[in-house]
Formats: sequence, C-alpha cells, structure tokens
Amino acid sequence: MKRSTVYSMLVAVVICAAPLLLAAPKVGQAAPDFTAAASTGKMLRLQDYRGKYVVLEWHNNGCPYVGKHYKSGNMQRLQKQWTGQNVIWFTIISSAPGKQGYVTASEENQYLTNMRAAPTAALLDPSGEIGHLYDAKTSPQMVVINPQGIVIYDGAIDDKPTTDLNDIVGATNYVNLALEQAMAGKQVQTPATRPYGCSVKYPDATH
Amino acid sequence: MKGCQSSRRFSAAPGFLIALLLCAGSAQASGAPIPHGTVELISENQSIAIGRPFYLGLHFQLEKGWHIYWVNPGDSGEPPRVTWQLPTGLSAGVIEWPAPRRIGTSSVVDFGYQDAVTLIVPVHAETSLAAQPLARLGAEIKVLVCSEMCVPGKTQLSLTLPIKSRPSASDMRTRELFAAARKDLPRPAPQNWKFSANEAKDSFVLVANVAPQITQAVFFPLSEAQIDNSAQQILQPQPHGFRLTLRKSDRLLKPIERLKGVLVVSGNRAYMIDAPVSKRGAQNNNSRSEIQEIESSREERQK
Repeated sequence: MKRSTVYSMLVAVVICAAPLLLAAPKVGQAAPDFTAAASTGKMLRLQDYRGKYVVLEWHNNGCPYVGKHYKSGNMQRLQKQWTGQNVIWFTIISSAPGKQGYVTASEENQYLTNMRAAPTAALLDPSGEIGHLYDAKTSPQMVVINPQGIVIYDGAIDDKPTTDLNDIVGATNYVNLALEQAMAGKQVQTPATRPYGCSVKYPDATH
Repeated sequence: MKGCQSSRRFSAAPGFLIALLLCAGSAQASGAPIPHGTVELISENQSIAIGRPFYLGLHFQLEKGWHIYWVNPGDSGEPPRVTWQLPTGLSAGVIEWPAPRRIGTSSVVDFGYQDAVTLIVPVHAETSLAAQPLARLGAEIKVLVCSEMCVPGKTQLSLTLPIKSRPSASDMRTRELFAAARKDLPRPAPQNWKFSANEAKDSFVLVANVAPQITQAVFFPLSEAQIDNSAQQILQPQPHGFRLTLRKSDRLLKPIERLKGVLVVSGNRAYMIDAPVSKRGAQNNNSRSEIQEIESSREERQK
C-alpha cells in the first residue's frame, strides 16, 4: 500500500473518531495538533516538532501540587535534563482569565525567570482549548509524545500524589521512565496513570 | 482545650491527673484549625474499656464552598490522611468513608464532602492495655481543602481518655455526630439485589436487578481511572431494576475483573457494590458504541 493511501486512511479514521471521543487522545493514538501563543509572543505549532519527543506539562503557579515540583526545583531539573537531550518541553497554562494560575505573557516570563524554569516554551491557553483537546484534568498533568506524533504517556508526574516536598525523593517519575524506555526502543511500561493535582481552572461552562 | 493547657500549672501528680480527667470528661473540645475549617478528634465512648472495640471520629467542619475528598478523590485532589499515635494495646483500623458527592465542573469532577463530615475509625483495645489510668491518643492529619483553589493543611490532634473496666457513653453532641456519620455510610446491598457489569467498547453497563423502582443512581468507583468521572451516568429503568452506563476512563488500558464502588440511589441511600465484569463478546461487536445507542434512542424519543 502506498504511503499516501495509508495516511489518508489514517486521516479518515481520525476524522470519524473525533466527534465520538470528545477529542481526548488515548495513549497509543496521534497527539492532536494545536497552535498556541508562547509567552515570548511567538505562535508555535505542535506539528512543527515532529521528529522530536515532546513533553506537555499542565501548569498553574498557584497550585500547591505545582508548587511542590517548582519550589523543590524538581520540575526545572527535569526541564533542563530533557531539553538538554533535544526533547521539546511545553509548559501549558489553561487557567481562564480571573482564575487561579491565569497569567499574562509578561507575568509568565517573569515567573520563568524567577523560578529559573527552562521549558522550550510556556504556552498560554486561556480559552482552555488545548487543555480540553488533551482532556487535561489537573496541574501538573504530563503528556509525552514520541517523534512519530503518538502519545506514549499521559498522567501524573510521579507516583506520590501529595503536596509534600519530601515526597519527591524516592518517587518514581513517570515522565523520566517513559522517555528513557521509549528512547531505548522499549515499550513504555506505565503509559497511563491518574494525573494528580489541582483541577485545571477552565472557563466556566465550556461544554 | 484551654483548660487542658492550664493544667500544666499543677506540679503535683495527683492534681495533674485530676485536671486531665476533668478535661477528658468535657468532650466538647473545639476543633484544631485547618485551611478554611477545623478538624476535631472525638471518641464515641467517654472511656476505653479493655478488650472492647470502640470508634474514634475525625469531625471536619468546613467553610461554605470548601470541600475535602473521598478515598478515591476523582479527577483532582487527594483524600485526608491520618497517622495515629496510640499507646501499646490500641490499634486503629481503616477509615469508614461516608458516601461522597460529585463536586466540580462539566470537565473535572471530584468526589468529596462539603460543609461537614465525620470520618469514623474502629479502634481495637487489647487486654494488654491495662495497668494505666489514662490513654493519650494522637493523630496527625494531612488534608487538602479545596474550593476553586486548593490549600494543603497539616495538624496534630490529641485526646485523652480514661481506661475503665466498662465503656461509658459520650455526650449528646458526640453521639449525634457518630449517628450522622453512620447514616451516610454505604451499607451492604440487600441479599436479593444482584449486580453485574457488561464491558462494551467505551463503557461499562452496570446491570442492577433490584426489587424497588429506582429512578436515580450515581456510581462512585473505589479505584481511580476506571470510569470517566466527568461523563454523565445514564440510567435506563428496566422491569427488574436498571442499567447504568458508565463511560470508561481513557486511562484504563487493561481489562478489569470487578467494578467496585458505592452506589447512591434515590433517597440518598448508599450501597457497596462489587460487580463482576464480563465482556459482551461477539454478539454485540458492532461499530456503534453503547453510549451512542442510548443517546440516539433518546434523541428519537424526543422527536
């Protein structure tokens, strides 16, 4: 079968499946494409990063679960470690204006500087569109996409669903596991977990 | 509690003991502060009887609009956690969780408690507990309190109870708190009620064969990531009960053998459910999903 035929069949499948599934991707399926404004002002499109691993990190700077991973420096460490290995890391803020975690572009840039955070970019999603596209429930929720554009992990950052900074040491980090296993050509052992954290602060009555 | 603290002034041991006893007698202790509320350690009995089990309670009182979580918190949050500090001879069991409520928005749904809730815990008092007049019970509580936003809290609670040969009942308020807590506990379903679950493509259908006419039911799964918490649960009355369609969680990647949880039916009665899950098999292996079938039949009825 020709490559283009396979591709058009895939497109057809995606189009058919979309209305049934409320667009939430399951692990093993194609990561839905999106275009978003980065805090730098640039417009970024997910599709442009095909060929690389991409990490999506749902963020809310007022959430104590997010605070656990930033005050400890854990999230920044992960961002540096993986972007250093050519992984694209998008911090996504889906808080609606007026809700906890909502930031303007300049506020987010200030936050990134203050926290010495090092994602590839922080994406502003005040409408919650990208959040809903991925059915993001919590901050921090983590999604890992492989170079072929397939979701290979969706869920919690680690296996300690608490706000306690002491729980970071000794926790099993699912993002690390997924990236390490996938890069070694192995099957991701834990491809989906319950994400933990604060609820994503979507605009009211979006559905 | 202030009276208890001032008892430290007594240097002589007998006076100290008397003061402690007085404090223990007045079970009307006020709660320790947690974010947007209080939590209080209460005992169903005013004294501990050697060899007889009794119940402790954690009574949470929350400001309007704030909530804490059930054992399965749902899409976000986490349940309160307690670390007991008990003298040798006393051992605490697990929390008996009252039926929760659905709390949240259209896309993120949590399971928890608003306003006030008492979590009760059975305590075993062994015979080795003897030979001391008083038992000091301690509990460290970690709790996440949320409204639109979440605030984690941690507090230390304590309660001193005399040890006697016979138990003595507590005051009216404490008894009422325990009675209210027990009223909301899920109970075993009646013997003649039968539950099973059919696994379809994107849903589980909980099939209930129950005697009374039930027109409303909400299922709360004990395990995380089995069903889609925010999805509408669709009830279809049947001649001998009902069918409740639960959308599967996108994060459920492995088959499950049982669907365990709490079913709250019309009239706010809660039952513990443990339904075996069976695959529908080839006979219903068409492309339309269970949820679509129901939704389209509903639309037709509305026309």
